[in-house]
Amino acid sequence: MASDITLYWGSGSPFAMRAMMSLEEKGLSGYTSKQITFDKNEHKSDEYLKLNPRGQVPTFKHGDVIVNESLAICLYLERTFKGQGTTLIPDEAGQQALVLQRAVESDNIQSKAFVNMVYYFFTTKAEDRDEALLEEKAKAVREELQIWEGYLAKQGDGSYIAGKDFTLADITLFPFLATLVRMGLRLEGRFPHLASYHEKLKERPSVKASWPPHWKGTTGPGWLNVV
Amino acid sequence: MASNITLYFGPGGGPSMRVQVCLEEKGLSGYNGKLLNTEKNEHKSEEVLKINPRGQFPAMKHGDVAVNDSLAACLYLENAFKNQGTKLLPDNPAQQALVFQRMFEADNISTKAFDGIVWYKIRTKPEYQDEAHLAKKRKDLVEELGFWEGHLAKAEGPYLTGRDFTLADVSFFPMLAILVRLQLPLKERFPRLDSYYMQVKERSSIKSSWPPEWDAKPAPDLLKDV
Repeated sequence: MASDITLYWGSGSPFAMRAMMSLEEKGLSGYTSKQITFDKNEHKSDEYLKLNPRGQVPTFKHGDVIVNESLAICLYLERTFKGQGTTLIPDEAGQQALVLQRAVESDNIQSKAFVNMVYYFFTTKAEDRDEALLEEKAKAVREELQIWEGYLAKQGDGSYIAGKDFTLADITLFPFLATLVRMGLRLEGRFPHLASYHEKLKERPSVKASWPPHWKGTTGPGWLNVV
Repeated sequence: MASNITLYFGPGGGPSMRVQVCLEEKGLSGYNGKLLNTEKNEHKSEEVLKINPRGQFPAMKHGDVAVNDSLAACLYLENAFKNQGTKLLPDNPAQQALVFQRMFEADNISTKAFDGIVWYKIRTKPEYQDEAHLAKKRKDLVEELGFWEGHLAKAEGPYLTGRDFTLADVSFFPMLAILVRLQLPLKERFPRLDSYYMQVKERSSIKSSWPPEWDAKPAPDLLKDV
């Protein structure tokens, strides 16, 4: 039941967004929502570290069950609440394989766009940023996005990332895409399928319910204009 | 059926080993396995690209279905062959949650060991290597191993999640094995990890998936100073 579920999350964390989207899609909107503020170091409190020794978000609790890896949370929810809400992992073998493949494959976006690029902006002062290095990183991001653009193009206009239905693969992809766009990535022109996919999913109820509060009414840093 | 499954893999990769172990555990030892040579660019060959357009290992095909990311492949295999071989995912929801958690959490090991230390050492000329940077990365890896030592301490049995060998071990063990291969000293600081390693490496699926070059070539000492 939703009331037995607590989710600790941070505004702007794509991993937290995945967990929130899954909860919404499985009809569990009534979960207890606990926002963690990084500025106040709440993620390093003794109480929080007992739940998540890594001091990261999200942290998910369902009764005595605690799960912290975002994809593990999504898989757990899909299995435990199989009969309700949206079917996030299809039963048919070929479809299931594609959904699982794309879901895990999104790690590539994490490493190339977030770890290799966004993190560089966070940790390097503007005056110390190397133009040539940035372009190298931007190129890697462009190439990675081109792969996902290709996947969408192959599925056909108006489709989701793994076919005609919304699945777990969209839950793992969309938060990354939305965060990159927030940080200045421009999709129009070069990535038309990703652009319309982004526009479409932004309006989905589970996405709206999971939208980072501090994004509302503000613009993000233009760091990824360079991509 | 095993004969419908093709797996292309490279030498000594953790992700490839995960899939091989999974295939063995599910009673699919008869799969078509092909060890390819990355040095000869075989990972970019037509036959691999047909299955994995990224030209990476592992590349797995079951009939018409391709699944290349190791954890996706393992989840797929456990489900497609649910009724045969070892049960790698328990039915009990709480137990299942723990298996999923540890399965994905294991990737922290490759991030901290490889992205943090190994690739840096291999790709940066010694005269440009920053010792302070490496020291921090070693500390991060030690902290990471501390988490896993703790997980084993809490486990109510010999495996990561307790009594049974599960997808958590399929995901984690190959990563640990690579650390040992790279000469990371486990025994003194991480006695539980050390005995887990010694015990699990005797499991027949692990023995069948052991990279041949680990027995043939001397071990690089990239993590000896951790």
